[in-house]
Amino acid sequence: MKIVSFALNGKKVSCEVQDRELLLHALRERFSIKSVKEGCGIGECGTCTVLIDNEPHYSCLTLASKVDGHDVKTVEYLGDAGLLHPLQKAFIEAGAVQCGYCTPGMLLSAYSLLMKNENPSDSEIREAISGNLCRCTGYIQIVEAIRDAAGLCKCKP
Amino acid sequence: MLPDFASVSPETKADALAYLASLDDVRVIAGGTDLLVNMKRGELCSNVVDIMNIEELRLLSGDGTDIAIGPAITHAAISAAAMLNDLAGSLSAACGWIGSPQIRNMGTIGGNLANASPAADLIPPLLIHDTVLKIESQEGKREERLDDFIVAPYETSLKPHELLTWVCIKGLPGYREGYRRIARRAAWAISRLSVAWAVREDGDRFVDVKLAIGSCTPMPFRPRNVEKFLGGRKKDDHTIGEAAALVVEEIRRITGDRPSFAYKLPVVKGLVQKALRG
Amino acid sequence: MYIGNEMNRIDALDKVLGRPVYAEDLSAKGALFGCIFRSTRPHAFIRRIDTRAAMASPGIVKVLSCHDIPGENLFGIIKKDQPYLAQDRVRCIGEPVLIVLGETEEAARKALQLIEVEYEDAEVVSDPFLSEDSTALIHDKGNLLSRRKVIKGDIEKGFKEADVIVEHTYSTSWLDHAFMETESGVGYPDSKGRIVVISSTQNIHYKQKEISRLLAVPEEKIKVVQATTGGGFGGKLDVTVEGFIALSVHHTRRPVVMRFTREESFLSNTKRHPLYIEYKTGARKDGIITAVKVGITGDTGPFASYGETVCLRAALHATGPYEVPNVHVDSRMFYTNNPVSGAMRGFGIPQLAFAHESQMDEVALMLKMDPFDIRMMNALKKGSLTATSQVLQNSVGIIETLRKVEPYWRKRSKKEDRAGFGLGCMYYGIGNTGVSNPANACLNITGDGKIALHTGACEIGQGSDTTLVQILQEALGLKIEDIVLVRGDTDTSKDAGSSSASRQTYISGGAVFDAALKMRQYLDEKGFYKGRPIREIYASEADKKLLEHNGFFDPPTTPVDPETSKGSPYATYAFATHMTEVEVEPETGCCTVKRVYAAHDVGRAINLKNVRGQIYGGIAMGVGFALMEEFVPGKSESFDNYYMPTSMDMPDVEVFVVEDREPTGPFGAKGVGEPALIPQAASIVNAIKDATGVRPFELPCHIERLKMLLEKAKG
Repeated sequence: MKIVSFALNGKKVSCEVQDRELLLHALRERFSIKSVKEGCGIGECGTCTVLIDNEPHYSCLTLASKVDGHDVKTVEYLGDAGLLHPLQKAFIEAGAVQCGYCTPGMLLSAYSLLMKNENPSDSEIREAISGNLCRCTGYIQIVEAIRDAAGLCKCKP
Repeated sequence: MLPDFASVSPETKADALAYLASLDDVRVIAGGTDLLVNMKRGELCSNVVDIMNIEELRLLSGDGTDIAIGPAITHAAISAAAMLNDLAGSLSAACGWIGSPQIRNMGTIGGNLANASPAADLIPPLLIHDTVLKIESQEGKREERLDDFIVAPYETSLKPHELLTWVCIKGLPGYREGYRRIARRAAWAISRLSVAWAVREDGDRFVDVKLAIGSCTPMPFRPRNVEKFLGGRKKDDHTIGEAAALVVEEIRRITGDRPSFAYKLPVVKGLVQKALRG
Repeated sequence: MYIGNEMNRIDALDKVLGRPVYAEDLSAKGALFGCIFRSTRPHAFIRRIDTRAAMASPGIVKVLSCHDIPGENLFGIIKKDQPYLAQDRVRCIGEPVLIVLGETEEAARKALQLIEVEYEDAEVVSDPFLSEDSTALIHDKGNLLSRRKVIKGDIEKGFKEADVIVEHTYSTSWLDHAFMETESGVGYPDSKGRIVVISSTQNIHYKQKEISRLLAVPEEKIKVVQATTGGGFGGKLDVTVEGFIALSVHHTRRPVVMRFTREESFLSNTKRHPLYIEYKTGARKDGIITAVKVGITGDTGPFASYGETVCLRAALHATGPYEVPNVHVDSRMFYTNNPVSGAMRGFGIPQLAFAHESQMDEVALMLKMDPFDIRMMNALKKGSLTATSQVLQNSVGIIETLRKVEPYWRKRSKKEDRAGFGLGCMYYGIGNTGVSNPANACLNITGDGKIALHTGACEIGQGSDTTLVQILQEALGLKIEDIVLVRGDTDTSKDAGSSSASRQTYISGGAVFDAALKMRQYLDEKGFYKGRPIREIYASEADKKLLEHNGFFDPPTTPVDPETSKGSPYATYAFATHMTEVEVEPETGCCTVKRVYAAHDVGRAINLKNVRGQIYGGIAMGVGFALMEEFVPGKSESFDNYYMPTSMDMPDVEVFVVEDREPTGPFGAKGVGEPALIPQAASIVNAIKDATGVRPFELPCHIERLKMLLEKAKG
């Protein structure tokens, strides 16, 4: 067992984790953050995507102990019902959400992109989300949403 | 789910080496993208040494054309490094293709090498940069050429108590470099075939050509006879065609004929020709 | 106007916040975890099972076998031939044999390793062509599950009248639904002594019925609720985890959680049927098709699932959206010991579209006609007879969809040698084939002054929640704040049928509309349209039963003749044309899909954003079907060796919505869920032929296969 201390969605947190425990399970079970999903468990679908130090990672292949001293963000960081992040608003407006299972991971990959690149081209957007599979939407409205949100928001940590 | 194991996260290389010497049934973990998948699929180990907190293993340094890359540097960092873009373009390009953005944030050059897949994207570019690996253990240090480091598919000469500490490459200023891989979808796919190249031309002649072919033979390889053939030759369709044919011959000589070759060999020919033409 | 707009989906807000509760997000105190012990043999008798070590394993509470089933072990959406738990025989790799229940997931999965089974291998049937004559019977009545024919006119005469005949064989592979959320559910005993199952599903009343048969208890003792469901595509219509969960709750009286890993999902979930299609087309030199003869051979695995439906639908749609006077289709579906195939978006028609659209292009080539013109000449119209001699009375938009892409087709030009353009057309009967498949809906008025819509129609991502609400809004003239949606619970909604066959907009929408008409009359009488608040209407109504208005819709169809399939199996059809531009790199066989123009006759678009979303998603699946998706039994274990398209595999798409109103549909609407996919692979294949001169006859035509075809053509 280890104590791991990190910033989770902007707040300092600490918990005890098993050595072999994955970040995905720590987030879901210890912090009740259910928006992080286990679509495949081997880093091949993207539904478990979280941001570590503002870069997308697969939490299903990240040991929980690895985030000690780091910054972790899940979709809950972006906004809440009272104040949606422009990306979340754009996803709704563009029709980028169908079954919703890939949506949290997709939003995080998009958020990380807009932090680094305020005005991405369509091909840069497609590359940024190329590690997030979606079976419902065909990605087109997702790309539209990210394009719409770019420039509208200052995506700063 | 993962089998049970104990993990340690040393912050110095010396501590890492001490753990590797003293712990039983021990593995090194960097990004975890290969190791953890293998463990989920049945591989067991009792101890894991996480090297991602060791700053000495994440350094990138250059002295003229001698470049030393820390093994714990991620693919994303490599493809963004200006020095490598300039002097090892094929390596930068390959790092930009591996896996997905998430995998590139997590996976490391050391991990890609230690896994030694025949389809490993980094190995062909590293071969054309005459890579030498530095390996350490508590017992001492050793150096090994990349060709020798990879013993067989998924097998390297690394012993359990050893740690890869540097990936040393020769930069190639003034070369036209590139990396092209074939996969079954546009992103996030295992390479079915890959070609890395570095070409120096002068007017209408090839001065020096380096080639490496991946996912065709049990280990990626450099067709040195073809490189020799091209040195000094006129850059024309005839030479290029002959060179491509020689590459194919060399592949056949190494592995005999495989069913996949009906597809792969014509593609290798075409890609080598494209690479040489520029 | 509350329809025909770009209204935001009513569930989108929760989803962008990461809030929806999918089945695996539910937590139940003291829940057991159930996992399945599965067969490793394709066909074998079970001689001995030893579960002692497993039962003694720490944390294991119970191990259940077929002997623990109080009611019926056999289930199936049409034919009940699939055991929940194998009795003395296993018929495919992955077939469930036992349920292991543990205090934790880890304990349960560990115990699986400790179960010992002795199998006696039986002869394996792995080739559907050899299945019929094989002495290895998978089921008692022989290995042919279903044989359906479509016979119209005189096929011999038709070929005699033809000036050209084109004959080819097409084949497709198994595909996986690859929904992002795997199968999962939770069950528990409630305070009323019932068993409740909450799961990721495309239907609820069907599962309630099956569970009641499984446990030999009345349906009222079983409650099924749909959790937020992360995609279905046909793979969550059959009973997946629900039966196992209910049986486990029945025996332990504790909550039980079950969740398939991705590997389990790939191993156990039904697949798209691989079809082998022998297609012969006869045409006059002016381009009129005179005869179509098709032989279809399908592999349904060892259990029926939706095999009969695919067998029949494939046959009925084999000609494509064209008027063909002489038709002979012979469609056979065989049992084998290969993976179980079942419902997957399109029910066999994407496979047939690959064939019929390739044939149209080949005939056009022979006649030196433009592929567009030959389609226009033969396209179905109002008054046309389909292959089943059904007269199409209304809403036949295929020509309109062709006209939408025509300007782009006419001005297509190959900027590079390697570019190619292809057309794909389709039609698709909405709703179940030739059988009654109604939907019920119920409207009620609530104490806080809202109209509550009760529906069993399962929202699986396709947007049915929003669509039904919009239909209601339009019918009653209500704002969204005045509506409450109560969905997906057998306690509070009547049977709406499954979310499959692209039927919910048309059929549940029809039921909602029917209820709305009655509610509208009531509200009108009570003064709502003169300004009286709903809350007041509620309060003033002495008999609260009068506040409830039930709606019902069953599409008017006729069963098809068992010998010739003559009849009107669908009340309405969707039509579409896709035009695709590809670029093929001849050195490598790499095919890039650059652009798609997709025109769909949806009758009436209730929500344009949703319609586009369905079409984009269908195109993605079509790209996968054509170029990369292939489930290889034993090899395709997860997403590392089953490739579905990423964002970088998608073309640019322009959508054209055609609205040829369907009089029997709510405000003229039909459906688009499956049509979105059906013509896409076909149009890619035709574009490849245009780009390279080489035609793929086998899908997926992935990069290596295409390169091989190119090499073969050279030599």
